[in-house]
Amino acid sequence: MASNRPKRRFRRRVKVCRFTVEKINYIDYKDVDLLREYTPTNGKILPRRVTGTRPAFQHKLTRAIKRARYMALLPYVGQ
Amino acid sequence: MPLYELGVIIDPEVDPEAESAALERLKSIITDGGGTLVDQDTWGRRQLAYPIRKKNFGVYHFWKFEVGGEVVSKLTFELRTNDAVMRSLVLNLDNELRRKRKMDAKQEARAAAKAAKRAAAAEAEEA
Repeated sequence: MASNRPKRRFRRRVKVCRFTVEKINYIDYKDVDLLREYTPTNGKILPRRVTGTRPAFQHKLTRAIKRARYMALLPYVGQ
Repeated sequence: MPLYELGVIIDPEVDPEAESAALERLKSIITDGGGTLVDQDTWGRRQLAYPIRKKNFGVYHFWKFEVGGEVVSKLTFELRTNDAVMRSLVLNLDNELRRKRKMDAKQEARAAAKAAKRAAAAEAEEA
């Protein structure tokens, strides 16, 4: 039974959508520092199941990251 | 006239006169088309995330301007044909910001409604 199981040691971190909280309504492709947080060093875009970003903002984020890649502000492939 | 945003990467190895001449030409295309430059942002020499034309650096310029749509096609043609320009991106900021303006207005309205409600509640408490 579930109640008999030992208690889990770690608590899952609550994920929040940064764009909703900070009311960032437009994601600029020139804002490299912001976009970096959503692309690990391998250059991939982090999925929203990892970051907790709302779908509407994930779409915008993806577009911004792809634009930044085209303008060589972010890498297509990382190290 | 819609607001556009232009981003260009200029070849860093081209001599400064050619660079300023290229920028001047772009500017003249905008102003001759009856447009106005709103904002000019120069990032200068910056390392590229990956090499373009076997070069690791690029000179970044970002402009905002208002022109009619037919001038933009001229501008993109110039950007494509100019050898000093390595990459360029033209965005219609009106389209980009439409959603933002809508959401900003919505959030503002919500905040105002909340403030009004709070004020009303405070008044009721006082009475």
